[in-house]
This record gives sequence, C-alpha cells and structure tokens, in this order.
Amino acid sequence: MIQLKTLLNCIDNSGASVVECVNVLKKKRPATIGDRIVVVVQKQRAAGSESSTTTALANKVRRGDIRHAVVVRVRKESQRPDGSVVKFGDNACVLVNKAGDPIGTRMNGIVGQELRGKQWSKILSLAPMHV
Amino acid sequence: MAAPLVRQLGCLRLTPSIQQPAIRRCISTIYSARREPTPLPSNVPEQFLSQLPTRLKKEAEGPKKIKIYPPPPSSRAACKDPVAKVTETQLSVLDPKGERKALFDYRRNPRSVKPGDILRVTFKNGDPFNGVCLSIRLRGIDTSFLLRNELMRVPVEMSVKAFSPNVKSVEIVQRSQIKRRRARLFHMRDRKHDRRSVENLVDSYIKQKRAFMGKR
Repeated sequence: MIQLKTLLNCIDNSGASVVECVNVLKKKRPATIGDRIVVVVQKQRAAGSESSTTTALANKVRRGDIRHAVVVRVRKESQRPDGSVVKFGDNACVLVNKAGDPIGTRMNGIVGQELRGKQWSKILSLAPMHV
Repeated sequence: MAAPLVRQLGCLRLTPSIQQPAIRRCISTIYSARREPTPLPSNVPEQFLSQLPTRLKKEAEGPKKIKIYPPPPSSRAACKDPVAKVTETQLSVLDPKGERKALFDYRRNPRSVKPGDILRVTFKNGDPFNGVCLSIRLRGIDTSFLLRNELMRVPVEMSVKAFSPNVKSVEIVQRSQIKRRRARLFHMRDRKHDRRSVENLVDSYIKQKRAFMGKR
C-alpha cells in the first residue's frame, strides 16, 4: 500500500536511504511489489562513513532528487497464486532510471518474488535473496 | 238514537285480523313440486355453444383449471452435508495417507505441530522457508499455518496452505521450549517477544540431519 507521502527504505547503493513516494505510475491504486513509483530522496546515506572509493557512488543521488523507483517489499500482505500469503516488516524500494535499469550496483536486503512476474529480472539478479 | 250505532272503524278491523293468518298459512303449506330445469337440448348447434353460461357448458369447455405441479425432488436428500463431502474428496486426493492432516491437527494429535515450534517448509521448486509457527488455522482443506522469520534483518511472515501441492515437505526443526498457553502467538510480532532469526538453528538442524543420514 504505497501511495502519496509514504516513506520507503532504499536498499541499493545509489546513496539514498529514505525516500518518499510522490506518485504511483500506471495505476490508480496504491502500489505494491513490482510497481513503479516516483520518489523524492529524503535522506542520504552518510557518505563519510563509507570509504573514499564509494563516495562517487554515494553521490549518484542527492537529497531532494526526484527519481523513479521499483517497490520490492511491502508491509501489506500479498497473496501468491498458490494461496500462500507473504508479508514483510517494512516498505522498501530500489531506484531505477527512466529506462528501468537500477541506478545502484548492489543491493542489501531481500525482495519479493512478485518482481519475477513483472519483468524486473535485473533487480532480482542483483538481490542477494528473494522470498 | 243513532248515536250507539256509530262505531269507530277500528273496531271492525279486529275480528277478521285474528282469523286471517290461519287462512293464509293454509294456502302457503300446499305442496307443489319444484319446477324442473329445462334440460339442455342434446343437439345444440356449435355456433351457440359459446353463448351458454359456464355452468351449462360441458366439462371440457368449463372454467380453466390451474395445473398444479409436484415440488421438485429435494437435493438435500441426495447429500446431506456437501461441504464435508467436498473436503473429504479433496483430502483423499491431496493427502491420501493423512500424514499432513495428522501433522497439523494440534487439537487431537499430541505429536502434531504446535504454535511456537520452529518449522522448515520446502516447496516444490526447492525453495525452503523457515520460521516460528505463530498460528495454525484449521479449516479442513484450507488449513494453513503462519511462519515468521527474520531474513537479512527484515521480518518476513508467510502463511502457507498445509495441503497445497506446492508444499513438498514440512519438518519440525525444534519444539517450543516453553509451554504455550495460547493458540495464536501474535504477541511474538512485538519487539519484546520477537524470536528474531531462526536461520542459525535451522542450519545446525540441517547439519545434524545430514550427519545422521550419512551414518545410515
């Protein structure tokens, strides 16, 4: 249930840590796993704590940037075709560019398997784990 | 002289008025047979039949009769409890040996899975899912159980249908250490009671299992 003003965790290394949803694309309803949304970066990941080589990566997005993102985890339970129901502990997303390629190069954290049915295989291959 | 002769006319009426009713009754009690109805001529031309009053019409042409149909046979007699029947047939297809049913029937089977146990579910495509069992929803063929775990610091909950053909195996990794007083352990979602990750326990269980199977 991602809609206007929802805050999400950003789980890639693009430099954003918390983003706010400002629009749900191609849908008149709240977004769920695999949906594309427009976000504003609210919090940056602390660049100082990381090593100097990764600061270039951390600067990929800044606070206040408007980017596209794909939702990868939601608190709202989602039902699979086999009847099982999956529910995560937080809302999370991955930033993507206009073409749909992820901005970050690494991801930390699990993602929902619903991405597979929605042609986000690039994100699935980056993810360390999917449930 | 003439005065006593003059009488009021009302006096004259008295005498005949007493006798009259008797006479009248005599006339009325004379028996007379009731007039017989004129029989309907047998050869009435067809064009006049429609003009006859309904009581004189023949039975075939009489007032329209409403056809009464018998009620349809009750389907209740064929199957008294169809839901139970469907459940039974589905169970015989999906769980012919009744193992899965016994595994989750925590009200009757003392060796079954109980809320608080740590389970490992393997799906048909080979993906496993481990977690603490928070609740078992006993609903016949729709029986499901809720597992909670923490994967990469993110809590994940998954409700799995017990009789789903997608579920290959369900194993009990560890029984609940303490006696649980309730059937739904939703308080384990709170930070204070959260079990956190059970991956380490499951890993050691798998190692043990492999060693055991290797010895055999």
